[in-house]
Amino acid sequence: MPRLYSVNMISAMTDNTKRVVVTGLGVVSAVGIGKERFWEAITKGKSGISEISLFDASGFKCRYGGEVKNFRPEEFIPKRRLKFLGRASQLAIVASLLALEDANLSVKSLPKIKTSVAIGTTMGERPLEELVLIWARGGLKEIDRQRIMQASVNNLSANVALYFNAQGQNYLFPTACAAGNYAIGYGFDLIRAGEIDYVLAGGSDVFSYIAFVGFQSIYAMAAEKCRPFDKNRKGMMLGEGSGMVLLERLDLALKRNADIYAEISGYGLSCDAYHATAPDSNGIARAMDKALKETGLTYHDVDYICAHGTGTPMNDKVECQAIKQFLKERSKEVPVSSIKSMLGHPMGAASAIEAIACCLAVKQDKIPPTVNFETPDPECDIDCVPNTSRKKKVNVALNNGFAFGGNNSCLVLKKIASR
Amino acid sequence: MSESDKPRTVITGLGVIAPNGIGKEEFWEALEAGRSGIKPITIFDSRLFKTHLAGEVTDFDAEKFLGVKGLRNLDRSTKFLCSAAKLALEDAGLQITENNTEDIGVVTATTLSVIWNISEFGREAEQEGARFVNPAMFPGTTINAPSSQVSIRFNIKGFNTTISTSYTASLDALKYAIDFIKLGRAKVVLVCGVESLFFQTFVGFSRIEFLAGIKGKEISCPFDKRRNGIILAEGAGILVVEEEEYARKRNARIYARIPAVESFFDAYRSGKYHPYADGLKRAMTKVLKNAELTKEGIDYISAAANSVQEQDRLETYAIKEVFKDDAKGIPVSSIKSMIGEAVSASGVLQIAAAIGAITKGFIPPTINYEESDPECGLDYVPNKSREQEVKNVLINNFGPGGNNASAILCKYD
Repeated sequence: MPRLYSVNMISAMTDNTKRVVVTGLGVVSAVGIGKERFWEAITKGKSGISEISLFDASGFKCRYGGEVKNFRPEEFIPKRRLKFLGRASQLAIVASLLALEDANLSVKSLPKIKTSVAIGTTMGERPLEELVLIWARGGLKEIDRQRIMQASVNNLSANVALYFNAQGQNYLFPTACAAGNYAIGYGFDLIRAGEIDYVLAGGSDVFSYIAFVGFQSIYAMAAEKCRPFDKNRKGMMLGEGSGMVLLERLDLALKRNADIYAEISGYGLSCDAYHATAPDSNGIARAMDKALKETGLTYHDVDYICAHGTGTPMNDKVECQAIKQFLKERSKEVPVSSIKSMLGHPMGAASAIEAIACCLAVKQDKIPPTVNFETPDPECDIDCVPNTSRKKKVNVALNNGFAFGGNNSCLVLKKIASR
Repeated sequence: MSESDKPRTVITGLGVIAPNGIGKEEFWEALEAGRSGIKPITIFDSRLFKTHLAGEVTDFDAEKFLGVKGLRNLDRSTKFLCSAAKLALEDAGLQITENNTEDIGVVTATTLSVIWNISEFGREAEQEGARFVNPAMFPGTTINAPSSQVSIRFNIKGFNTTISTSYTASLDALKYAIDFIKLGRAKVVLVCGVESLFFQTFVGFSRIEFLAGIKGKEISCPFDKRRNGIILAEGAGILVVEEEEYARKRNARIYARIPAVESFFDAYRSGKYHPYADGLKRAMTKVLKNAELTKEGIDYISAAANSVQEQDRLETYAIKEVFKDDAKGIPVSSIKSMIGEAVSASGVLQIAAAIGAITKGFIPPTINYEESDPECGLDYVPNKSREQEVKNVLINNFGPGGNNASAILCKYD
């Protein structure tokens, strides 16, 4: 693949030791494992939603979800190590291995003291949920040591660091459905601070029974289809997966002639301080404003917004209000799509997988669609890239992620210079 | 991150809900008197277990801090944390208004607290049926729920992050806060730590035989030869961390400066200690360097030692390796002898204790120290606090599993 930038041009710009780029993408998702399958599926508008197989969902109104299919961790991870890993760790390790391979780096080539790990999740490790359910069924005696050792959420980032011998900072962000952005964002901060060269950053979540019951209980789930921004949208679909990116110091990436997807140019966090579950458009708009302010860009520069777009009546309406507030007169011309229409909502992994979609959009100048779109909603009068992907120059992509508690995040990914 | 980086960060407020004292004064007084908060468990029936002690917070009434409204759906951790936030904001004299709210953030260290809500929600789904769960309980099943409630209750809009790195989460959160202030994303950050005590985590720690009393005497006696496990604890602590200039402009009382926080992972084996405490040595070395302090400059080391055989021995070893000949001259104590192991809240409580040491001029003791261990030969300030001027404190956080962090606190002048 030809390089889209010139080394001299970039070097002349700023201090490249303080700039952070994405050089590897690893994704394990409902629409496919590996960035090629993932990108092909989402740009063709293929959905990964299927009937739930991981537990018996027959008693529920919704029986569909975005499960990762054909996930065979034993093809990636030696058996002797697998038995110590819960599914969330397995997903994250496989995604990280894919990201490293994609970056054309070996595990051994990472400088161990200068490599950090930052991971986001909502539900954490699967064994915790198993223990809770065993206990709830009265099986206190069956609670076993092995599961207890794996249950605590911090195992997720620790297991990834152990696997890759990453001895820099180790961070686990349980910031719910926006967690991936928090992790990638802080990974970017760690490199900028000057002592870290590489960060494996992203998110991982398993298809959780507790979350499934919970989202049903608050009527947030659609029965069969997730149709963000559609007038007849009924809710989200639960998902699972992991998205991990390799963040690298720009000068190091240039030196080893790495293929660069995009530069992380900044991010913004905000808190609504309003309600545990209801979103607030001002809070969301503030996160987007803060993200841009940090990058020195303006809303005129935005080419694509990868929406949080869960498909619930409330989220999409409020997110569109915020986008309109943020984009002003450009609110109808900037494409805004939700890949959750195809993946479901992989919770803590969502914004990480969406960041990967943004990297590919920036790299390929192509925008993935919002599928299942039929009826426009006057309350969502944005361009949601309905049903088919679109070729378009994407220099700057914004990645939105919002979470329970009114916590909002927006990550800015930028094409690295031009030819 | 190093001392020379601007802006500098300081601590201007404290909120403490600890097993041996609620509010900073009560907590400091208990530490100075060597008073333990470890007692027989009352919050659940411990008869099922072999051990019966914990660092339980007693005489806690959330209504006293928060009023009667809006408490119904909050779990114990969230009530602790919101109460501590109330204390911390009052202590810092910080009014949150529409003018400053966007400059204020919250970062919370907690790892195990959510297990209560997940368990209760899971139990209801199993016993009542998935269609009959209480929807109001669902938002609480996310680990960042307590932190979010602090923002909601006190109208803090800058950002809200939770960090769950278990034993080091407090110092990891402190580092995150300082980074955010240095990057200009916030002027003030509430650095919070919280864990609470309940049946389910007690089952976990008991089954993996990490509790004191399973293989020896049921006592929290860090560095003592009889040590054989932790006494599990609960509590919350909040530090109001602030950009120095901002604090000075609003004439805030400044407790201490935080010149550096550093963390390293020492990959070894899942759930195990690194046999040579590599990460902890590295964290201590780096934090000293970045704080621009020499080894002789440290007046007190607040240890992570929690009465676990390996942990206390490894921390002693790491201190000896880093401080060499100076090691024996530096007082090292563990407040976990008095409060137990509060996991992700420990670090914030250690810092609250260190601020007491700096402010009131004493070193908290390591209580229950009777039998010395040849592998732990430092000055552990046994049993009685020591009156002494304290300027610079080194605070350690680590545990099994690979996370290590160290911070330095300096008297402000």
